[in-house]
Amino acid sequence: MRQEKNNEMDLLLRRLGRRDDATVSNAAGVHLDADELSAYAENALPAAARARYTSHLAECTRCRELVVQLSASGGMVSAAETATVSKPSLWRTLLASLFAPMVWRYAAPALGLIVVAAIGFVVLRRDQEPTHVTQVTNNEQRSPTSIAADTASPAVDSPTKATPSPEAVAGLQKAPAQTGSAPAPNAAPVVSSSTEASKDLAAAPKQQPASANEAAPKPSATPEESPRTAETEVSKKEVQELPAVAPASERAWRDAQREDRKTDKDVARPGSRRAEPTDKVSSQGAGSVANVQRDGFLFAGPTRSVAGRRFQKRGAIWIDSAYDASRDTTTVRRGSEQYRALIADEPAIKTIADELDGEIIVVWKSRAYRIR
Amino acid sequence: MQTEVEKSLNEGAARLVARASDSRSLTRELLLPRITAAVEKYLLKDDPNTPHAEISKFIDEMQADDLCLIIACERGDEKAWTDLVERFTATVRSAARSASSNEDAAEDLAQSIWAELYGLRTRKDGMPASKLAYYSGRGSLAGWLRAVVAQLAVDTFRKQSRLVQTEEDTDLERLARVAEGQPLVARIPTPEESISNRFAKTGMQQALHQAVQELPAEDRLLVKLYYFDNLRLREAGAVLGVHEATASRRLTRIQTELRTRVTKILVDERGWTQAETERSFAEIAQHLDTDLESILSKEGV
Repeated sequence: MRQEKNNEMDLLLRRLGRRDDATVSNAAGVHLDADELSAYAENALPAAARARYTSHLAECTRCRELVVQLSASGGMVSAAETATVSKPSLWRTLLASLFAPMVWRYAAPALGLIVVAAIGFVVLRRDQEPTHVTQVTNNEQRSPTSIAADTASPAVDSPTKATPSPEAVAGLQKAPAQTGSAPAPNAAPVVSSSTEASKDLAAAPKQQPASANEAAPKPSATPEESPRTAETEVSKKEVQELPAVAPASERAWRDAQREDRKTDKDVARPGSRRAEPTDKVSSQGAGSVANVQRDGFLFAGPTRSVAGRRFQKRGAIWIDSAYDASRDTTTVRRGSEQYRALIADEPAIKTIADELDGEIIVVWKSRAYRIR
Repeated sequence: MQTEVEKSLNEGAARLVARASDSRSLTRELLLPRITAAVEKYLLKDDPNTPHAEISKFIDEMQADDLCLIIACERGDEKAWTDLVERFTATVRSAARSASSNEDAAEDLAQSIWAELYGLRTRKDGMPASKLAYYSGRGSLAGWLRAVVAQLAVDTFRKQSRLVQTEEDTDLERLARVAEGQPLVARIPTPEESISNRFAKTGMQQALHQAVQELPAEDRLLVKLYYFDNLRLREAGAVLGVHEATASRRLTRIQTELRTRVTKILVDERGWTQAETERSFAEIAQHLDTDLESILSKEGV
């Protein structure tokens, strides 16, 4: 009922306002000066003076207009308001400023771009992974002879690889050149992708020992284990640059690898149990750097090559790069009858067992042996 | 013998100089006349016996840095002028833009303000007649500059309006001379006008007008801001220095009080019965409501 009455009064007052609006005169005497207007709008006047000016403003349209204008533009904070309205906390203010429409006006498109870039990166990365798997599978499917040849294949950095075929060098030199010419905006996703790749590889031993297959074989370096480890560390650092290689340069790298394999077949004899140092990284110039980079991309932990086999240490176990978790493994204890029988048939396994301390998983003639 | 007020003023001036972050080499004596003028204008005019504590509080709330800057400018301090222009060019320009219809007019207005501040005219004593003399230091200097711009804009606009009005009047007079002797075309009042006329005839309008005039100044100002100037409650509250919610509550109370007051006027002064008053309220409000709806629908709101 009271609300209805107020509605009636509301309508009557609106009508009165319409009628009187045109007829209101400035019969309130002298107008307020600028100082009085601004002080009033800022609520900076003593009560008595303010009341005096309020009376004038209630009658004077001109001064009222000016005060309204100044109140709106001056951002006046009234004493009453500060007393009654609690001040928002700092984090609320921060959140409010973060989610302000003006911020989102620019942030939303930027966020959209980031999301698109992230999705693109994930998709591209998924596209790359099958290539790796295919490559590794091909390695596995080759005969032990070809695997033995492969062990020397990426060893542009090895002394035996001092004279690679010209095609291989050309192909290898392409890769870093293209890496260098990769556009700068790619740098950020590239680094993150490679970091993730490193993380994946580092986490692999815990989750999936079979992923050791990703490691491409390298010539053995028995006497120089620590430099090899150092090289691996270098590879880890340089791996961050590798994924920047454009698909074309990736192709060039694969071509170079094929060339390497062809060349190395002439150099590395299967079963020769040749131990070759692999720590000379920079002797081959750009091609060597490319090799280190691609090795770094494939390996994460310390590796050694013995008897033409490449082993990677995962925890306390040396795992053959050709080992696959799906393979049945025969466990053989050192010094046992079974062990003696095995090394009698396969002397190379003895070499491996002697070279590598601790537990070893070695794949030999399509069978996996776990030597403890 | 120093009076209580003089003592308060002297002490207050000394404190003001001390708390200014840059007093611009001004002394208490140089500031005293301006502070005294402000105290007289805003305190002693309303209460010549204002207590010492209140005067001290008033002076302590003054804008010390702004006041020192302005007085230094008045005294011809070049650095102070440079600081004033550097600090407030944007404020003046912004105020001029919001008070002008276009960029050129805003630029002209801003230039006029700086000329007024600098004081191109001279007083009788030979000193430049600068507007700076009117800044008391009670409100912020930025607010004062905005007020100066707004005032000048209004005055300029009114001057121009008068000019246009005069030309229009001349045209109307000419038209009137041409149409002399001819009967005026009888204009049929619109439904809105007829309702308004009925509203006026019933005496309700006069009673309401009277009741509004009898409201306390603060309430009357709120009614004017809300119903006459069509401000939002938030804007009206800002002028009064209260929150929107407070303004809303106050307006509801005023409506109730006005209704009571109008009823009393109609019954006591015009001989209406209580029932007649109630019926009249409802009837007129209903007509006005219908009228408003039709207006709003015409306007496509």
